[in-house]
Amino acid sequence: MRGLLAVLLFLVLATPAAAASVCLVCHSSAMMKPEFRKVYQQWKESWHAQNNVSCNDCHGGDPKDATNAMSPQRGFLGVPKPAAVPEFCGKCHIAIAKDYLKSGHGKALMTNGTGPNCVTCHGAHDVQKARLGIINVTLCSKCHSYERAQLMKEALFGTEEKIGTISGELQTIRSNGLDVENDAKTLFRTQAQYRALFHTVDVNLVKSQTSSFNASLDTLQKRAQVFLQDLAFRRNFAGFLLLLFAAMGVAAFLLSKTYKR
Amino acid sequence: MPLPWRQVFYTLGFAALSIFVLQVVTGFLLLIFYIPEPSRAFKSVQRIMTTIPYGWLFRLIHVVGSYLLVAVVMVHMLSVFFMNSYKKPRELTWITGALLLLITLTFCLSGYLLPWSQLSYWATTIATAMPTAFPYVGGFVSDLLRGGATVSGATLGRFFALHVGILPAALLVVLGLHLFLIRRIGVSAPPFGAAQEEKKEWTEFHHDSHPGGEPFFPHYVLKETVMVMVLLAVMFFIIAFIPTLFLPEDTNLPADPFQTPEHIKPEWYFLAPYQMLKLIPNKFVGVSLQLIIVGLFLVWPLLDTSKQENILKRPALLAAFGAALCLWIGLTIWGKYS
Repeated sequence: MRGLLAVLLFLVLATPAAAASVCLVCHSSAMMKPEFRKVYQQWKESWHAQNNVSCNDCHGGDPKDATNAMSPQRGFLGVPKPAAVPEFCGKCHIAIAKDYLKSGHGKALMTNGTGPNCVTCHGAHDVQKARLGIINVTLCSKCHSYERAQLMKEALFGTEEKIGTISGELQTIRSNGLDVENDAKTLFRTQAQYRALFHTVDVNLVKSQTSSFNASLDTLQKRAQVFLQDLAFRRNFAGFLLLLFAAMGVAAFLLSKTYKR
Repeated sequence: MPLPWRQVFYTLGFAALSIFVLQVVTGFLLLIFYIPEPSRAFKSVQRIMTTIPYGWLFRLIHVVGSYLLVAVVMVHMLSVFFMNSYKKPRELTWITGALLLLITLTFCLSGYLLPWSQLSYWATTIATAMPTAFPYVGGFVSDLLRGGATVSGATLGRFFALHVGILPAALLVVLGLHLFLIRRIGVSAPPFGAAQEEKKEWTEFHHDSHPGGEPFFPHYVLKETVMVMVLLAVMFFIIAFIPTLFLPEDTNLPADPFQTPEHIKPEWYFLAPYQMLKLIPNKFVGVSLQLIIVGLFLVWPLLDTSKQENILKRPALLAAFGAALCLWIGLTIWGKYS
């Protein structure tokens, strides 16, 4: 009995929270209409899924109770109206929502409902990791001319590239077992603040504050470089030991040949 | 003494002993900075890798050394089996050697949990769930290993005690007996060639004499030194150029009991039994079968009563040996890519 309990407990613990959601069970079943089934497929390949953000994290409800999963009493919010989307996403993306609401985009949405909301640019269930490529002619030209958006993209480019480089360097260092948690957190915080700033869509503001972000990123990059130099030293040192022992092996072998049987 | 090319197989015991000594030395150094407590274990390992001077070197030697040790002991056992060196009067030498292999594998299993990473936590969860396949006693054994229903701080404490206290003591006793038997009975000559024809039944104890053979020092010591240097060169090649070979991404994430990694697989030396368990639908039958195989492996010299020491003249045993080896390799590859 205890063995069975242990196995059951293991199975429960071994199941990721998102996979245990009853929302996914229904939305992936053949009984569901194709347009609702598509939601599951889109989410599965999304950045949210990769970060274990499940249906109930945005839509509320009870993911463990099939009967009451969509009950308002259990906090189910359903599909938000366009003007309610910033608040919907802003539950987690607090700083970004705040800056967005101050922007021309946010004001247009809140005053006359014409401005783009979060999903206009980022998508809904198929949301991907935010990249600079989101600012493009096709998307921006849907509402206005691209020139202003291009200026913003140019202002962001250098800093975003630097963030990408440092992120890659920290990943390399971390995969070698080194502790760069604090640096990764600092980078994440800097990136989040910078991206929040971008959501004001105020090119002048972005340009004026970019230097302070770059100073913070430069400090991080210097630390990453120190770690990378340390990794290079480790490779060289181990390489030296490899040559040393290989040479000692060859010497011992040649010496053994000098002795007669 | 055996022919020169066969002498390679006669250096493996010393090579295994040398790596074991290296494991002890690096283990002591790691022990100074490692903290066997769930909230601090992962960070203490990261500290060893990041800020402790040359901590990375000691840890990587310890990690790579454990894999090399298993590989060397396995090849050593295979060569002893192939040369039928376990036969009378060396039955106990084989049994102590087989016990040493099992202790080495238990060392690996217990050491695996200590970094308290995602990989170590979930691999241990799977390994310690295996005894539950047995009715009545399975749950008790699993709880005994874990110190509760799940892998927790109690498990870490138990595995730490096992890794640095109980297993080293057990290994030293068995190793001492193994070395005593080798010294007392001597190393067997290979069962091929003229030396084999001259062998006579023992009627009383005597040290083996090898007229015309090579002296242990310096001839044989140099050959063993070459083997140890080759292994050390392999070790530092891995540390220099592929340091993450045995440390995949999940080893860089702290253990999270609520987040199961997608692909948890055991290390290469456990892949064959892992795949075998996957293929056998009944877990009880699968685990029992594996215990029987381990038991047979352990007491094999007592079961093999044939006087013939040359395996090449025993086609049935040779075929069974070849088939078992191919099966093990096949299951390992299958387990890796399944």
